[in-house]
Amino acid sequence: MNFQIPIGPQHPALKEPIGLRITVDGEIIREADLRLGYNHRGIEKLAESKTWIQNIYLMERICGICSHSHTTCYVQGVEKLMEIQAPKRGLYIRTLVAELERIHSHLLWLGVAGHEAGFDSFFMYVWRDREIVMDILEIISGNRVHYAINTIGGVRRDLDELQVKNILDSLSVLRKRSEYYLNLGTTEPSFVARLAGVGYLSKEDALALCAVGPTLRASGVPMDVRKDDPYAVYDEVPFEVCTADTGDVLGRTVVRIKELFQSYNIIEYLLKNLPTGPIAVRAPRRPKSNEVVSRYEAPRGENIHYIKSNGTEKPERLKVRAPTLGNYAATIKMLKNGFIADVPLIFAAIDPCICCAERAVAIVDARTGQEKIVSTSSLKQLKQNVSPNKERKREVVWPL
Amino acid sequence: MNDQILIEKAKEGLKEKILNIANPAPRRIFLKVAVDNLLETISWLKNEQGFTHLSTISGVDLGPSFEILYHFANNFCSFTIRTEIPRDNPSLPSICQLIPGAILYERELQDMLGLNVQNIPDPRPLLLPDDWPAGNYPLRKDWKFERPAEVIPGGKK
Repeated sequence: MNFQIPIGPQHPALKEPIGLRITVDGEIIREADLRLGYNHRGIEKLAESKTWIQNIYLMERICGICSHSHTTCYVQGVEKLMEIQAPKRGLYIRTLVAELERIHSHLLWLGVAGHEAGFDSFFMYVWRDREIVMDILEIISGNRVHYAINTIGGVRRDLDELQVKNILDSLSVLRKRSEYYLNLGTTEPSFVARLAGVGYLSKEDALALCAVGPTLRASGVPMDVRKDDPYAVYDEVPFEVCTADTGDVLGRTVVRIKELFQSYNIIEYLLKNLPTGPIAVRAPRRPKSNEVVSRYEAPRGENIHYIKSNGTEKPERLKVRAPTLGNYAATIKMLKNGFIADVPLIFAAIDPCICCAERAVAIVDARTGQEKIVSTSSLKQLKQNVSPNKERKREVVWPL
Repeated sequence: MNDQILIEKAKEGLKEKILNIANPAPRRIFLKVAVDNLLETISWLKNEQGFTHLSTISGVDLGPSFEILYHFANNFCSFTIRTEIPRDNPSLPSICQLIPGAILYERELQDMLGLNVQNIPDPRPLLLPDDWPAGNYPLRKDWKFERPAEVIPGGKK
């Protein structure tokens, strides 16, 4: 007999709110369904009422982990609309912060993967080392999370000689530690046994379901926006696109650890070849009426912004597609025919960065398997029915 | 370089279906087709040109009509197919049969712009809450959010 289990929006196994409903047959998941919207903030609508400069700070707050991804994607689109070119040194610093962000995001993910696999000492080791890269980001920008380094036409903060030396020193520590993690993550027998074969996604499915980032590359598809559609200075920096062909959580781990080393190489190249000159140019207040598609390889995959201007100080339309949304369809596929105990691991393996989930309460009758979805307003009704005569201090009114 | 070859191929393969084709920047192609030719164009792009990755679908409220943009990408180029549908009959076909990964983006279009996606495999709302009032589509330009006046308990009436 099939049972339906609601997981989330609030659930101890999930780090952020998302509504999952899985149908299980014994221990095996037969069907999985996703409900977004729990955390929906209406940023696209809000962006239409803010100026081009204000929107940089709004984009920064889409995500706490890849905050630089969204601002870079946005400002490089707006720079094209305004027909200005950021100076070389500005682009180098922008790319440098982007790669540091990738390192901190991948280390964070690696720790979470260790935690979900029940390897908590690995989690603590990795997160200790993540502090090194957070410190570097703080040296550069003054902030650990929202770097606020991008502006239209370049970046806001310059680097000096001492900072460059500090970053290179810290990086050599990180590189040594990452070698240890690569060794551990791919050879430690119980860790590998926990990850191998879990959440399998074939190459055909990954392509059909439009997966992005490490999830796609772990299924053997070498797609990386940095290589395919070079932005900033990626056309002059040497690096490789990392792939794996196993298509499971182990493959996604290996891809991310390999990408760490690529990022270390990129950062070393950037710091050693840092050009001199200004870091930003002056931008006009309003662009001409035009449109642009801006793409960026965030730590989680392809991030795309579609920006349309109408000649005023505010955008006509700003469409944001964060990488996690692109991976949801593939996650549903991965969950099917897996075990319940693998749900957090598979879900963590796409590195979800959730801005959206569920707002409904599901009540499942365990005996019949019948399910009823109750909306918040009918829950309120239910509450009133329970104690109809009690006086209430005030009524909660739905805003619309 | 590559863009020009692709544009030539599009002109050859689609002929009079092309309403407009533009190449405003390197690796960016915008192709406009009528909504009736949308599925044929996408199947041409996918099967003959190998564009399997749909980045996202953007919907824009232009006032008298809606513009829908399908952003495709491969290893060389970002290819956008655009189409326009009238505001009084906002319906367009689902592309999920060709691109199964489009489902979430199409559900988002239905929620946020109130478009009617025909033959969509899963028409349930995705982002908005279940008790969202019908006929309210937040991304339409005429939809305005008014914050309700704050009521302080025990305050002045």
